[in-house]
Amino acid sequence: MSATVFGTLKAPLRRGGTGLWICAALLIAAMIGSLAIGPVAISPGHVLGILHDALAGARPSGGDALRDAIIVLDIRLPRMILGVLVGGSLAVAGVLLQGIFRNPLADPIFVGVSPGAALAAVAFIVLGGGVAIGASDFIGRFGLVLSAFLGALTATAILHRLTVHEGRTSVAALLFTGIALGALASAGTGILLFLASDQQLREFTFWSFGSLGGATWIKVAMLAPFALLSFVIAGLLAHGLDAIALGEAEAFHLGINVERLKRLAIVAVAAGAGGSVAVSGTIGFVGLVIPHLLRLMIGPSHKKLLIGSALLGAAILAAADVVARTAVTPAELPIGVVTAFLGAPFFLWLLRRYRASLGG
Amino acid sequence: MYEARALSFSRRNRAILDGVDFSAAPGKTVAIVGPNGAGKSTLLKLLTGELAPSSGEIRLDGRPLASFAPQELAHRRAVLPQSGSVSFPFTVAEIVALGAAGRFTRAEKESLVARALSTVEMPQFAARFYDELSGGERQRVQLARVFAQLWASGGTGYLLLDEPTSSLDLSHQLLTLELARQHAAAGAGVICVLHDLNLAAMAADEIVALKNGRVVAAGAPSAIVTDALMAELYGVTCSVRAVPEGPFVLPQSVRRQARH
Amino acid sequence: MHRSIYRLVFLGALVFFALNGGAFAQPRTINDAAGRKVTITDTSRIVSIGGAVTEVLYALGLADKIVAVDSTSTFPEAAKQKANVGYMRALAPEGVLKIGPTLILAIEGSGPAEAVEILERASVPYVVVPEAKNAEGVLRKIRFIAEAAGVPAEGERLASAVREDFAALGHALKGIKQRRKAAFILSMGSGSPIVGGAGTSADALFKLAEIDNALSAVSGFKPASDEALIAAAPDAVVVMSERDHAMPPEKVFSMPSLANSPAAKTRNMIGLPGLYLLGFGPRTAHAARDLAAALYPEANIPALPGRSWTAAASGGEAKAK
Repeated sequence: MSATVFGTLKAPLRRGGTGLWICAALLIAAMIGSLAIGPVAISPGHVLGILHDALAGARPSGGDALRDAIIVLDIRLPRMILGVLVGGSLAVAGVLLQGIFRNPLADPIFVGVSPGAALAAVAFIVLGGGVAIGASDFIGRFGLVLSAFLGALTATAILHRLTVHEGRTSVAALLFTGIALGALASAGTGILLFLASDQQLREFTFWSFGSLGGATWIKVAMLAPFALLSFVIAGLLAHGLDAIALGEAEAFHLGINVERLKRLAIVAVAAGAGGSVAVSGTIGFVGLVIPHLLRLMIGPSHKKLLIGSALLGAAILAAADVVARTAVTPAELPIGVVTAFLGAPFFLWLLRRYRASLGG
Repeated sequence: MYEARALSFSRRNRAILDGVDFSAAPGKTVAIVGPNGAGKSTLLKLLTGELAPSSGEIRLDGRPLASFAPQELAHRRAVLPQSGSVSFPFTVAEIVALGAAGRFTRAEKESLVARALSTVEMPQFAARFYDELSGGERQRVQLARVFAQLWASGGTGYLLLDEPTSSLDLSHQLLTLELARQHAAAGAGVICVLHDLNLAAMAADEIVALKNGRVVAAGAPSAIVTDALMAELYGVTCSVRAVPEGPFVLPQSVRRQARH
Repeated sequence: MHRSIYRLVFLGALVFFALNGGAFAQPRTINDAAGRKVTITDTSRIVSIGGAVTEVLYALGLADKIVAVDSTSTFPEAAKQKANVGYMRALAPEGVLKIGPTLILAIEGSGPAEAVEILERASVPYVVVPEAKNAEGVLRKIRFIAEAAGVPAEGERLASAVREDFAALGHALKGIKQRRKAAFILSMGSGSPIVGGAGTSADALFKLAEIDNALSAVSGFKPASDEALIAAAPDAVVVMSERDHAMPPEKVFSMPSLANSPAAKTRNMIGLPGLYLLGFGPRTAHAARDLAAALYPEANIPALPGRSWTAAASGGEAKAK
């Protein structure tokens, strides 16, 4: 072993460190921006003051001070936290899906996971005693998130069953099955909406674009356990996902319990993507674009990839929310529109890059 | 000690293996040969644990193979696949490092990877992207990974190879078999599916010949590589040892030039 | 010395309050349509949510007090120049707060609930205006909005005028013995057209115009099956004029389910602005009259007197094709 051997090795096994710090910095910047920027101009110093007072338990009683405090604490803060959780969950779900299907084009929406969650959520709303989407009833909310989780779980399980054959995934099968599941979910949702009241109907249309509007602490509390569950599981699966990149058989030879890994990954995807759909509707492109960007920045090793994706996904969504809130003020853009606007061109570029392997 | 008794495997009502007995002892190299469709790869997959037999029993070091958890199996054997592709841009070093899972410091991992790469004569490939390599280069990277896995668990694990020489040039075919023999010489067992009879004759201590899912013969190379057996296995008329007209090169008479 | 200062202050306050009139009327509490008691003190900056609410406010002469409207407030034309807070069911609380309203008048169904909650917490009076499905409802809506805005007298005047309109309409429709049927088509949808069934605002308007809803078998705004449309056999098809280009008569009447209807035979398709038709605001009687005139041409139903609030652009003419 010569010195040169060590020299050439340092870079390959150590790639990614700086990239992660950059992602963390971006997240912090996005979180700060999310609190400081909005239709109502509140200076950063004032924002800090409001946060400080809130921690000390003091609340202003009226006038502009009250308005600003409400904007920062009741509008922007829960929205920022929800955006961070949703963005991180969707990005991690993307990494997991791409890992178990061994394909960079897997995304919770394209493969039918998010539509499945949405279908289950609508079913709960329409059939579950008509609990309105805007209900702040605790049980109603939790039932909604749970339904979405189960819907996502079912969709992912079906997807896996139909597309993975003898350890190999056909890209075409993946995408077409995803389209089929999405269409099925749409049809089911359509039938349910037929039974819905006009009120529910019109609210659903807006919900289905994906929005962080109406973020409340309750929604944060509902999503948080599901999001954290997905993060924890993902962390445990990091090495196994690397091994699976060689192939399911090869991963088994390396000592990975492949079936268990796939099952856990499916649960994590369902928790993260399903939970996100329940509180903020379907938001696209995050699960697809963020992991890919990260692989370009820090490489495909899953331990770093998962951390980086969670950080960057959270950052991008918080930043997109600032755009959603300020672009057409006093009205608001659904955040799904913003992410689509940013993500679609990137997706087209991705397709072009993987043109060759798509024939498979 | 690998022991398999009365192994049968069917898929979709077609018997691929029927009543196969097989054994491989530490320190010995066993080659599995036979015509296409004889069931060689299937036998190997049963031995690695990837497939479960329809009937019969496989024991590894005295325990039924099915009783091992994947992690335990990985400590006792490593498998060189027919090289495939990777869907993400991993570097060569990252691929090799996959074999070195477990509680290693980064320095230990790096030295394991370095040793593995220099063993397969690819030390300068560490930072290259795996998906940019040729088929033969990928094969050698996989071999490095396999050795990393073996060394990470003590160096006495079984080495199972499925047609390891298919994409390699002559020099690297010999390198692979040489490394396999060295591994056996160190006291570990080697099981190898080979297409090339000459390589099998050269490298193996024992050859198992399969045809139509059954063991036709098993024994030392001199007992297997005979005219009669070749006729039975491949349906060809053969003259072992006959020298053909025109130039010919046999691996047995090739020596590698040392490279570093 | 002190007394003259007090007197000065008192006079000044009087003048101030007189000038600002209704803006600083006595704080009053109103029971809104959601059953909440809302206290209103200042009506100088009103955000109006709901096309009919905006119409009423303009008709009450309070245009200057409106600082923002929602996207359904399309009449009068001037309303479109106001700041737009977006769709009534997708309000952005921070955007609304930025405008600094002192009163929000929102038609029933506005939301979402989280946004309303935040606005309330910010001490902005949020008053839910009751929706209307008939003449009485329209009058109630007008009076309610007027009271909330602090101009009850104006409201009474407006309500009286609108009541006269309804009375005139009822009188003009008395002669109709044989009711005809109309079908309201909201949009063509991706397969079946979405129609206004029983319980919708379209259905309610038809009732006012002595017109039967050909699609009363459907409930709500839903897609109608071919059989339902054939069985409906409407004498006229009513659409929103904003959808003119998407639903030209050729397209509508070429549908097999409508091709043999009485409406198709006379090519009787009526296009009127959506808010005019379905808003149930002060122009409701006029809209009902226009529909009736198109369905019962032989009855020679006279036009209702033009009012100041019906004039502003946005044609109230029925376009029978």
